[in-house]
Amino acid sequence: MAKILLAEDDKLISGSLCDALKAGGFEPTAAYDGEEAVAKVKEMIPDLVLLDIMMPKLDGISVLWELKADPNTAKIPVIVLTNIGDVDTISKIVEAGATDYLLKSDQSVDEIIQKVKDVLQRTVKLG
Amino acid sequence: MIINILLVIDFIMLAVVVAAYLYSSMKERKYLRSEADQSLELQQKVYQAQVLKEINERIGYSLDTGKIVDIITSSLGNLLEYDTVSYMVLEDSGKVIFKCHVENTVSHNFVDEVKQKMLLSYGAILNQRIEPKIIDESITGNILDDSIKAEVESFFNLPVVISGKLVGLINVASVVRGRYGEEQASILYTITNQAATAVSKLQAVLESEKGKLAAIIYSLADGVITVDLNHQLTVYNPAVKTVLGIASDQTLTMFDIVDSLAGKVDVRTKIEQAIAEGKPVTVPEVMLKDRALELTAAPVKDNAGRTIGASVVFHDITTEKSLEKVRQEFTAMMVHELRAPLTAVRWSSESMLKNLSAAAGTDPSKLKDTVVTIETASNNMLELVNDLLDVAKIEAGKFELNVQEYDLVELVNEQARAFKPQADIKHLAINVTTPSKLVLKFDRVRIGQVLSNLISNSIKYTDSGELDINLSENSEQKAVVVSIKDTGIGVSREDLSQLFSKFKQLKGSDHARKGTGLGLVVSRGIVEAHGGKIWAESAGENLGSTFYFSLPLGK
Repeated sequence: MAKILLAEDDKLISGSLCDALKAGGFEPTAAYDGEEAVAKVKEMIPDLVLLDIMMPKLDGISVLWELKADPNTAKIPVIVLTNIGDVDTISKIVEAGATDYLLKSDQSVDEIIQKVKDVLQRTVKLG
Repeated sequence: MIINILLVIDFIMLAVVVAAYLYSSMKERKYLRSEADQSLELQQKVYQAQVLKEINERIGYSLDTGKIVDIITSSLGNLLEYDTVSYMVLEDSGKVIFKCHVENTVSHNFVDEVKQKMLLSYGAILNQRIEPKIIDESITGNILDDSIKAEVESFFNLPVVISGKLVGLINVASVVRGRYGEEQASILYTITNQAATAVSKLQAVLESEKGKLAAIIYSLADGVITVDLNHQLTVYNPAVKTVLGIASDQTLTMFDIVDSLAGKVDVRTKIEQAIAEGKPVTVPEVMLKDRALELTAAPVKDNAGRTIGASVVFHDITTEKSLEKVRQEFTAMMVHELRAPLTAVRWSSESMLKNLSAAAGTDPSKLKDTVVTIETASNNMLELVNDLLDVAKIEAGKFELNVQEYDLVELVNEQARAFKPQADIKHLAINVTTPSKLVLKFDRVRIGQVLSNLISNSIKYTDSGELDINLSENSEQKAVVVSIKDTGIGVSREDLSQLFSKFKQLKGSDHARKGTGLGLVVSRGIVEAHGGKIWAESAGENLGSTFYFSLPLGK
């Protein structure tokens, strides 16, 4: 079962997504701020990270830079899930090395699950 | 230059001598004159006054010396008897302008004679021999007839001086011998003097207007320059250096300006474009180091509509840009905050649908959780939308209160009770200290909203400790003061002043404790609408904070 780390400070959103990930056959772990997310990724080395941008303590872009700077976590695919839609943020996300970027309110949970599956499959093939 | 000054001094001396002579001779004559003469003189004086008035009016706002002399000569009319009246102007270029009005037919020789006499006289005044290469000559009035042999039998020349500068020479000439005495000279002298005074005054007014204009340009915050058609700088104000970041305290040249904008915008091209198109050309945003400028080049025309150069205005739009940025950030933040609950509602509904149609049958406990999520998310969103609407109302000045007499103690206790469950979850005690009763006029719903905002904020930002809610009367200031003191994360000094402002609050706010800060903006609006004040105090970060608001008594 693929391990997913979900970094999301909004408990309502995190709850819904965790439920859906479990239903989709994944093993999700929730982190509620940026620092917790970095610590948990380094500890558990998940197969994929779902990352929010606006989070307390450490924002998602900084989390991304930290993960990419560490050889142990640099190769873990990261899908950024956010509700910030401005071009500046998107370009920063891409620059920091995210695998993909999704606007939360534009996606259904099913679409997100499908994206997670796609990315994992591609990573396995490449790996 | 020195020669010029000497000439002017020479000329002033001459004018003084002429004036003194005319004055003394007139006095003498007056003494000798009979009564009949005096009445004639009076008549002439009245007429002279009329002519002067007419000249004054006709000169109007013209500063064209040629035109002024024209006006003077044509006004002489019946005041003086003459066959020709002429004037001569020596231009700086060396060109001589000679105009002659022929009242009674004379010969070419007569006119030539007048011209020669004027040239001699002009040369004498300027103390130099005038040998004009070009004479711009024009003769108007009656036709010339060379069969008339009459020569110039009497004449006189009178210099026209404006603001101490010789601008021309007037001549009246006649075929009659001895026609002109001091009296006639005196008339013409008075007239020219008067005209010259009028023009000097006009020049002074224009100079002062120019001075005012220069002072305005000098004091403008925008950088302003004007250039002539050869791109030479003709005017600039101090703001140009500030706005363009030119450090030099030397006199500015066009090169400095072009250089300071190098690589950003080519000012010369913009100037040429403005001149060619005959209308202003604007470059909306030129980024110059840490400044944003708006540049407008416009053609400058003279009275006749001829383009004589261009002006360029450098308007500093740095502040506008940063305000625009803050506004955009606020909008982005709001969009983000509105999307979050919407996302939760959407995903929850999706999961609920799946649950309802699951092959294994519906899981009721899960269903309840999902509905709770939807309810919470909807409430969050409603609160946000209401806050936004309130802020909009406050900003538009359309905030209406329903003010009645209520007991504020009762309301405070009610709100404190309402938040007890939330405080219990975080193990926070709420202590309330109030008098037994405090009746005053306020909007119960709105003040309830303020209390709710402040108490919920305190709980949100406090992880351990307690909340102290205090209500007291300040009879000195005729107000009641409510304070909510917590032992939470506190507020840094620089953030304290910005807590209650719409845009600032959002910066660097802690997203763990969701909030847009709009609640405080709304609270301020409500309290201020009551004529009260709202403020916060904190010893610093992690040292707790106290929020206060006051409401006036007896209102």
